[in-house]
Amino acid sequence: MAQQANIGELFSMLDSSVLLVQEDITAVFKDNLNSDRGPMLVNMLVDYYLENNSQQALQILSTLQEPHDKHLLDKINEYMGKAATRLHTLSLLGHVIRRQPSWKHKLSQAPLLLSLLKCLKTDTDVVVLTTGVLVLITMLPMIPQSGKMYLHDFFGIFGRLSSWCLKNPGHVAEIYLVHLHASVYALFHRLYGMYPCNFVSFLRSHYSMKENLETFEEVVKPMMEHVRIHPELVTGSKDHELDPRRWKRLETHDVVIECAKISLDPKEASYEDSYYSVSQPVSICLQRRQIDPNASPYIETHISYGTSTSTPYSTPRLTLSQMQGQLPQILSPQSTRLSTEPQQVTIWSPSAVCGMTTPPTSPGIVSSESSQTSSQPYSKYFSTPAGGKGTPLGTPATSPPPPCISDDFVHVSLPSAAATPPKKEDKLDPGRPLLSRQQNVINSEKALEVPGSKSSVNLSDLPEFLGCLASDEDSVEKDREEDAISKEISEITTADAEPVVPRGGFDSPFYRTSESLAASQKKPLSVASSVQGHSLSSEPLASSLDKSGPEGARDTPKQAFTPIDRPCGASDESPAGNRVGQSSMETSILTPSPCKVPARRRMGFGSGQPPSYEHLFEVALPKTAYLFVSKKTEELLKKVKGNQDEDCTSSTSPMEVLDRLIQQGADAHTKELNKLPLPSKSADWTHFGGSPPSDEIHTLRNQLLLLHNQLLYERFKRQQHALRNRRLLRKVIKATALEEHNAAMKDQLKLQEKDIQSLKLSLQKEQARYHQFQEEHDNIVAQLHSQIRQLQHDREEFYNQSQELQTKLKDCRNMIANLRLELKKANNKVCHTELLLSQVSQKLSNSESVQQQMEFLNRQLLVLGEVNELYLEQLQHKHADTTKEVEMMQAAFRKELEKAKFCVQQQSQRLDAFQKRIVELESQLSKKDHLLLEQKKYLEDVKIQARGQLQAVESRYKAQKRITQAFELEILDLYGRWEKDSLSKKLDDEKTEAAEAAEERMDCSSEGFADSVAGYSEEAVGRNGETKPPSTRGSSNSKGGSSSELSTPEKSQNQRMGQFSSRWEASMLLEPSTSVPLTVGSLPSSTSFLGMKVRELFRNKSESQCDEESMTINSLSDTLKSELCKDPSMVEAKAPSSPINPSPSPMNQDCSVGQLHIMDYNETHHDHS
Amino acid sequence: MAEDSQRNFRSVYYEKVGFRGVEEKKSLEILLKDDRLDIEKLCTFSQRFPLPSMYRILVWKVLLGIIPPHHESHTLVMKYRTEQYRDVYHALQVIRFIKDSTPQVEVFLCMHQLESGRLPRNLAFPLEPEDEVFLAIAKAMEEVVEDNIDCYWLVSSFVNQLNNKYKDSLPQLPKVLEQYLNVEDNRLLAHLKACSAVSKLPYDLWFKKCFAGCLPESSLQRVWDKVISGSCKILVFVALEILLTFKMKIMALTNAEKIIQFLENIPQNNTDAIVSKAIDLWHKHCGMPVHLV
Repeated sequence: MAQQANIGELFSMLDSSVLLVQEDITAVFKDNLNSDRGPMLVNMLVDYYLENNSQQALQILSTLQEPHDKHLLDKINEYMGKAATRLHTLSLLGHVIRRQPSWKHKLSQAPLLLSLLKCLKTDTDVVVLTTGVLVLITMLPMIPQSGKMYLHDFFGIFGRLSSWCLKNPGHVAEIYLVHLHASVYALFHRLYGMYPCNFVSFLRSHYSMKENLETFEEVVKPMMEHVRIHPELVTGSKDHELDPRRWKRLETHDVVIECAKISLDPKEASYEDSYYSVSQPVSICLQRRQIDPNASPYIETHISYGTSTSTPYSTPRLTLSQMQGQLPQILSPQSTRLSTEPQQVTIWSPSAVCGMTTPPTSPGIVSSESSQTSSQPYSKYFSTPAGGKGTPLGTPATSPPPPCISDDFVHVSLPSAAATPPKKEDKLDPGRPLLSRQQNVINSEKALEVPGSKSSVNLSDLPEFLGCLASDEDSVEKDREEDAISKEISEITTADAEPVVPRGGFDSPFYRTSESLAASQKKPLSVASSVQGHSLSSEPLASSLDKSGPEGARDTPKQAFTPIDRPCGASDESPAGNRVGQSSMETSILTPSPCKVPARRRMGFGSGQPPSYEHLFEVALPKTAYLFVSKKTEELLKKVKGNQDEDCTSSTSPMEVLDRLIQQGADAHTKELNKLPLPSKSADWTHFGGSPPSDEIHTLRNQLLLLHNQLLYERFKRQQHALRNRRLLRKVIKATALEEHNAAMKDQLKLQEKDIQSLKLSLQKEQARYHQFQEEHDNIVAQLHSQIRQLQHDREEFYNQSQELQTKLKDCRNMIANLRLELKKANNKVCHTELLLSQVSQKLSNSESVQQQMEFLNRQLLVLGEVNELYLEQLQHKHADTTKEVEMMQAAFRKELEKAKFCVQQQSQRLDAFQKRIVELESQLSKKDHLLLEQKKYLEDVKIQARGQLQAVESRYKAQKRITQAFELEILDLYGRWEKDSLSKKLDDEKTEAAEAAEERMDCSSEGFADSVAGYSEEAVGRNGETKPPSTRGSSNSKGGSSSELSTPEKSQNQRMGQFSSRWEASMLLEPSTSVPLTVGSLPSSTSFLGMKVRELFRNKSESQCDEESMTINSLSDTLKSELCKDPSMVEAKAPSSPINPSPSPMNQDCSVGQLHIMDYNETHHDHS
Repeated sequence: MAEDSQRNFRSVYYEKVGFRGVEEKKSLEILLKDDRLDIEKLCTFSQRFPLPSMYRILVWKVLLGIIPPHHESHTLVMKYRTEQYRDVYHALQVIRFIKDSTPQVEVFLCMHQLESGRLPRNLAFPLEPEDEVFLAIAKAMEEVVEDNIDCYWLVSSFVNQLNNKYKDSLPQLPKVLEQYLNVEDNRLLAHLKACSAVSKLPYDLWFKKCFAGCLPESSLQRVWDKVISGSCKILVFVALEILLTFKMKIMALTNAEKIIQFLENIPQNNTDAIVSKAIDLWHKHCGMPVHLV
């Protein structure tokens, strides 16, 4: 419950006057809806809306999201069943549907649709019906596929309502019927557009009935006049158009446009299909015919157009501007004169900028401003291109674009330039290039986009026609138009603008007025606001008229073609509708507030462009512009009114009727209000005129509601268009990009082609050069070949010649050989003959000599014969004596010879013997030599052997020597002792001498050792002599022999030594001065025997023992078997001479003995061998 | 010739299989058969091969010049030598330097002294170092040689050779030993140096006495074979081998005196191997003498 209360509070606050609170509450509701899935809140919202008609609630409901849709639809369905709330419910449903919620596809399944259909079938309230039909129409494109099951319901509703329109069973006010008729008309369009075959078959079946024929005649037939033949009627079938594949590709707006395409009604129709009509050359012809006779119908039509839709104007103008924009590039001098046209272009571009059927700003203001206030053209131009960039792109289909060929433009521009007043020339030049370029691009794009449906005839015709128009009618018509416009404007301005605020769709010019109104309302001008607003609102008309004058005829070929257009003026004054409308207008009072809000809102979400044009309004403020425009509009309006009576032949579309109605209503209202003082305008007019009848009020309210519904429907359509426009825009952009890309590629291609060409050129050059070279080369080759050939030829000739010569040579040689042979033969013959000759001559000489000899011999023979005879005679005498002598001699000689032979034999024998002997002797000699060698060897051997033995002996000898030394030492030692004893005991007398001797002995003994070394050296010298040991031995032997007292030689020696020493001592004592005591005395015992010998010799000198000594030496020499028998004498000779120097003499002796011995050895060896 | 080639042919195989000294006896016999013995060949043989004991004395005597190379004069020369020995012996007896009871070695010494003329004035004279060397060698030789006369002559000749022929080279041997020890085992040398035992090693025993009294006679003979045949360097290698063989023990000993004491009394059980190794080492370092046979 708390929540309920809370929600209640919230609802109360929902429509708070404070904006912030409103927004907050809305947000809270949305949050709630997001979180809560229950149906309660939705139900409450619906209830609240139905009770209070709250915009906020409507806002929330129309933006409901997916899970709530079922609740909402259920709730709406519930309320739909109740008659009281049906209208509100329908309007709510309309609001919701127009939002195109994401769940719109569910509509077809919802029971709501059934109840809606049921309602439409059964209800009798016109307002409900109208609203319902509009809702249905809105809904149909959303459910094209699933709606087919209700197709007959739709048709039934159509049938019912169309008959309702005619028969008016409910007897409602006719003003309602107008609305109903309009909605039925829309339904007709929708059904025809979506399901043509089915619908046509339905119409056929339904209106074939007699009771319905009237309805057909009155209602349906005029409607059919506003549609073309649907292509589906030709190509499709009933089943085909229900095929889901057909609808799959189409979105809602596609469907809407699809439907609008087949419409011929300028209000209903989409401009997209305008080119269809343009493409037909017939239309132009028709147009011409229509234009030429009279200008008035144009104006009238223009007015009607101007009031109804500005789009057709804008588009052609655009094309024109494009044409002219290109012109300056081509023809500069004439471009200046075209200033008015560009101006218009620039003015009109904003409308094109929108890309929608309705320009958001009033172009009229701009035009007037630009024409009069030349001070700010640049700003405008800059603004317009900036804003208008998208315009041509956005309206690709709108323009019935004449394929722009520059040549054509020249034609066009010239006349138009002439027509334009020269005063406005200079202002627009700078901006033009920019614009023109842009348009240029656009133009080309259009040319591309528009398929070849447009024939060349059309294009060529157009400029001519333009030229005619411009030259003939421009000035006149302009004036006229201006008058008419100004008149009308003045008329309009008299009436109050506010109530006139239109309910039409965006397409309609009412929107413009409303917008301008809104703009004016923004301005703080309280008093002048109405006037300004009027002026503003009227300006579009004025401007449209203004332009329609010169170019209208050309611009509106399609409109002109439409047969419906002409009667529009008449429809304007269709007695019933108009009058009713006027009356109702006059009486009707409308509160401005509801109208303004939607208007504003529309501005908000309709498009982003409007704000950008607001500054243009400010620019447009100067009153002169208004005055000018108003004047024009008045004139135009007058004309329109004048013309309106004339043109009532053709039927008008229900929309136009409705428009008229509203216009009339507005006029009437303003007239009524004008009577009242201005300030009280907003006040309740009942205050002045008393309370109005309730019926009237109700009617008015319903009417308002209907208008509102209509407005909403139109808005929906506009949205669909906007959607489509955006998509198309994208395509165009793509196309442009592709185009540019194409152009770039073409450029590249050109460049490459150029390159290729240049390359080809160079290639050709190269080829030519190559050919040239080749030719030269060929020439040279040919020349060379010919030379070669010639040379070969020469060579062959030479060869032949040489061969000939050679053969000749051979012949010659052969001949020479033959000749030589012959020569040889001849020579041989000659030689032979010579030889023969010589032989013969020799023979001859021989024979001659033989003859001579023969003669001589013969003579000799004769002589000898005679001698022989003589000798024979002598021989016979002395024959006996001679033979004995010869025989004797021969015998002697023989004997001698024998003797000699024998002798020789003897000699040879002797020789042999000698030779043998020689050989023997030689062998003996060699043997001896050999023997000698052997002997030598042997001798060597023996020598070595002997040496070995000798060494042994020597060592033995040495040992002996040592032994003797030792003995001597011993002996001396003993002597020493003994002498000491004997001296001390026996000899007292010789004390002193003994003492001296002892001293000397001691000295000697002491020196003995010291001198032993010297003794050694002496021995070493003496060792060479081998004679020594024998000699010593010999000596010792001799001495031993002499002194045979002791058995051992040592002893005897010792004894002798002792004797000697005693003697020596005595001698020493005797003659100490004469002797050399040091040399001799130093060798007492240890020295060799030689020393002793010396001493003996020395001693024996005085005793004359020389003989003995010589004897010993002789004995020594004998033992050596030497031949040197004189040596002893030499020794002897030396010996006496060497008593003074005893020591060297034995040395010498030894040496000589050694030498001798060696010589002797050799000699003995010789002897031995 | 055929005999020679056959012998050579076999000896190659013997040596290959590892036998040694099989052919030596035969070749030595061949050598000894020559009249006028070739002393150089005998030297080479002796250096190369161990001498068979039955010919050792003869070879030694020949090599030392106690008997001449001629077989003829052998008896004569030996007769002389014997006489000389007897004379000297008698003389010593006469001068009462020796008695019958005097040990043979001292008799030899006295005889040697007498022959070299260095006989002291009386027996109380103190022994000189060279006399000690002589005594040691004589003692060792006495074991080897049975005959007194031969023994005297061999000892006397051996000592004379040491004193004459090796007089210059013997003092160099310690340095050579150090050098080879450095080559073979420098750690041991370093150790010895560290113990300052290098200079104190028993060089007298080794080099002057030629290991007489250090090695048993069986081993000593082989060493002396080389010494007599002319190479005193073998002494260095024997010493080196002794050091190497007892390396571990020496390394264990850090005192120089102990080391020397140990070296002066080395164990006698393995000396044959030491000598064999020493000979190998000697051959390795000094090269095998050319086989002149």
